[in-house]
Amino acid sequence: MILSLLLSTFITVFIAELGDKTQLATLTISGTSNKPLAVFLGSSSALVFASLLGALTGGSISSFVPEVILKSLASITFLIIGLRLFINSFTNEKDVDEEKM
Amino acid sequence: MNSNLDKKENELDKSFISIFISTFTTIFIAELGDKTQIATLMLSAESGHPIIVFIGSSLALISSSVVGVLIGKWLSNKLSPNRFNFFTGLLMVLISLFLFYDLLENYI
Repeated sequence: MILSLLLSTFITVFIAELGDKTQLATLTISGTSNKPLAVFLGSSSALVFASLLGALTGGSISSFVPEVILKSLASITFLIIGLRLFINSFTNEKDVDEEKM
Repeated sequence: MNSNLDKKENELDKSFISIFISTFTTIFIAELGDKTQIATLMLSAESGHPIIVFIGSSLALISSSVVGVLIGKWLSNKLSPNRFNFFTGLLMVLISLFLFYDLLENYI
């Protein structure tokens, strides 16, 4: 009973997470830094901490902080990361061009 | 050329702890109020075994981090850094727009 509950939770959450924005963010950060272990530890501890908070509060954080605020925060974070990567990809290109010259 | 390479290596060589903290913050913000939390909550409420649900969901989240890190590393080896930055940047901006659209649709 307990094992089947463990397994069904694992499968549900794992499938829900595949291709999710959190995983895509992990993928991005991992590809742009050279310390995969630090990225892995940071991302898994954040995920575990978030689900611990969810379990402890008997709900999600959205019962305390309005979902609008949480979602806007997430949206702004993704926008900042995206723009930084864009800028990086263009400034690096300039470096490469200069090297060729 | 050499000094340029050195500079790039220095940029990449940010300290372990700073990468850890920036990853933690980003993922934590992205994860709050996400659908996984809702799934965990439903399972936890249904079963009456919150600890088992918590362990199961933690293991799943850790595995999904491993998958994310490995795919990211693999892709960054396949693509040039510029191309990788461009596509992941595009992806992040799209996710941000999608979240923003979701907000507009549901709350305004």
